Amino acid sequence: MAFIKWGVLQFPGSCDERDALHACRIAGDEARLIWHEDRDLGGVDGVVVPGGFSYGDYLRAGAIARFSPAMEAVAELAAAGGPVLGICNGFQVLCEAGLLPGALLRNAGLRFRCHQVELIEEGTGERLSIPAKHGEGRYYAPEETLDRLEANGQVAYRYADGHNSNGSLRDIAGVTNERGNVLGLMPHPEHAVDPLTGSTDGLRVFERMSGVLA
Amino acid sequence: MVELEAEDPERLAELCEKLLANPLIEDYEIQTL
Repeated sequence: MAFIKWGVLQFPGSCDERDALHACRIAGDEARLIWHEDRDLGGVDGVVVPGGFSYGDYLRAGAIARFSPAMEAVAELAAAGGPVLGICNGFQVLCEAGLLPGALLRNAGLRFRCHQVELIEEGTGERLSIPAKHGEGRYYAPEETLDRLEANGQVAYRYADGHNSNGSLRDIAGVTNERGNVLGLMPHPEHAVDPLTGSTDGLRVFERMSGVLA
Repeated sequence: MVELEAEDPERLAELCEKLLANPLIEDYEIQTL
């Protein structure tokens, strides 16, 4: 794994940026906050777009944040192959920005769900226990897009049997872009990095992203 | 429903397409008041 200098974006309404900072540091990397108005990412190697309620989910979750000045720089970083990790609202922002395929819709049961979920890491079969907390986490993409994601190996994580509480198509919990350097997932790996909270499986997600530059 | 005051009604469709709507999951109609 490479040593990564992470920039964690902070929008009005973000609430999980500090846990993301902590997780990056626990994973052995350096991390700092980047205010959404900053077009200059300050030489970071990668970016975390954190969870929360940026702009109060006004219009649509992530719909406003995607136009933040910092997101222009994130798009450039992603195009250059830098690692970009979108968590929950961050995943929504990346989809709205077109950096990831698909969209996140309201949960199938129309209720905000907050609970521990089991994910299956595609390709390895590793089972990860990570908290999920969202009201708009139902992953959607047209069938032909889903087929393409499957064929290209862009499905990163699926909900294990019985753990898809939001109705995501094909149990998809997280996807990457074609190149694999941009990853979005609805569950919160930054809340699963300390034994005190019951699981450290979230570190595996941060280690995966550090590996983008290895 | 989103209510807007637009200086140029001719650009409303462009506004919806590029800024307001997510064409993947939403369609829209424009009513000029």
